[in-house]
Amino acid sequence: MDAIDSLIPEDTGSTPALEPIAMVALDAGRMLMEAGASANSIDAIVSKFARGLGADRVDLRIGYASMAITIGIGANGITRMREVGHLGVNQRLDQELWHLAEKVSRSELTTSQTRAELTRLATKTPRHSAWVMAVAVGLACAAFGRLLKVDWLGTGPVFFAAAIGQLIRRELITRHVNVFICAAVVAFSGSLLGGLGAHWAGSAKIDMAMIAAILLLVPGVPSVNALNDILEGHPTLGSARAVTVAVILIFAAAGLWLGKVLLSHWGIET
Amino acid sequence: MNLTLAFLLHQTLCGALAAVGFGMLFNIGFRSLPWCAVSGALALAVRTYCLDGLGWNLEAASFAAALTVGAAVQVLRARADISQNALDVVGCIPMVPGSFAAKAILAMFALTSTTTDASETLITAVQFALRVTFTIGAIGTGLAIPTLLLRVRVSR
Repeated sequence: MDAIDSLIPEDTGSTPALEPIAMVALDAGRMLMEAGASANSIDAIVSKFARGLGADRVDLRIGYASMAITIGIGANGITRMREVGHLGVNQRLDQELWHLAEKVSRSELTTSQTRAELTRLATKTPRHSAWVMAVAVGLACAAFGRLLKVDWLGTGPVFFAAAIGQLIRRELITRHVNVFICAAVVAFSGSLLGGLGAHWAGSAKIDMAMIAAILLLVPGVPSVNALNDILEGHPTLGSARAVTVAVILIFAAAGLWLGKVLLSHWGIET
Repeated sequence: MNLTLAFLLHQTLCGALAAVGFGMLFNIGFRSLPWCAVSGALALAVRTYCLDGLGWNLEAASFAAALTVGAAVQVLRARADISQNALDVVGCIPMVPGSFAAKAILAMFALTSTTTDASETLITAVQFALRVTFTIGAIGTGLAIPTLLLRVRVSR
């Protein structure tokens, strides 16, 4: 036995299996990240899951499209990596994951029970219906419009244009259309409908109505997460999020620009 | 002071409505939506008071509003049973200068085809882009400060 070997404790073979613990903890982190959490929250929840299931040591690396974990129990340790999917926002899933993490950290669940719970959350967490969301988004954009000084004549068209834009966005996301293309299409249709509606309603603020109708595309959670991640010591992830936000804004502006071009082609001054 | 109570109420109500709409978009449950409304209303009330009551500029007013929302969320989050991040963001979303961002990028698009007044278009684009950057920075920093301060206090 050489000098380095003597520093490594012997494997007694009595520790719990590392692989399932690592994969369950990674999956919890992945689900939280896809639900719109910041890096520190992901770090905290993965640590709660892994330690609650028996790990002594937990180290996590969070990237924009993948996560890697190293966990150890006694002398044993493994490193595993997991791909991360589309980053959306799902607050109810976020909340449920934290409730589950509390249970796991109190050692109330085994690894297989935790895995079953994660699968249940991924498939059964409720979402608002498409129509309810469309109406809510319409109301939000109409309120945004009022904040941007759109007159009352233009507020109704903003409501309808944004609601239709949200329905189009949901349909495109269901069909797995690229998120940037989706932003451009929604911006184009929303601004065109908002501009046409405001024109027909006799509004004097057609340009602002067009902008208000596409504010459903504002990437609020990614923007705040980007800054939070940078401030909290994750500059790589924060920068990746910031770049994504910038590209979404560029595609949305391209859609808005196309809408403006089409309206001026039809003789409507914006 | 140019601020009237009717205008303050109008802005507050619009902030609350926008926050609730975005709350639903983020799949926040119906029971937690009133907290989103409170968060958005508080943000817009503070920003409007600072902008029109105290005469501050947009960036400073947005910073004060975000700081207030961030501090209020720290106090209320246990009661609201909702993640701090979500409550912060839905409250501050009505303050995101989306129209400035759109105008900045459209002005940059226009630069590629403008033959006259190119320098004026460039200045407009840069002005809007800077206002967007500083306002978003002010909102993000205002939200982060209460969280970071609390973490320091807890870790002591």
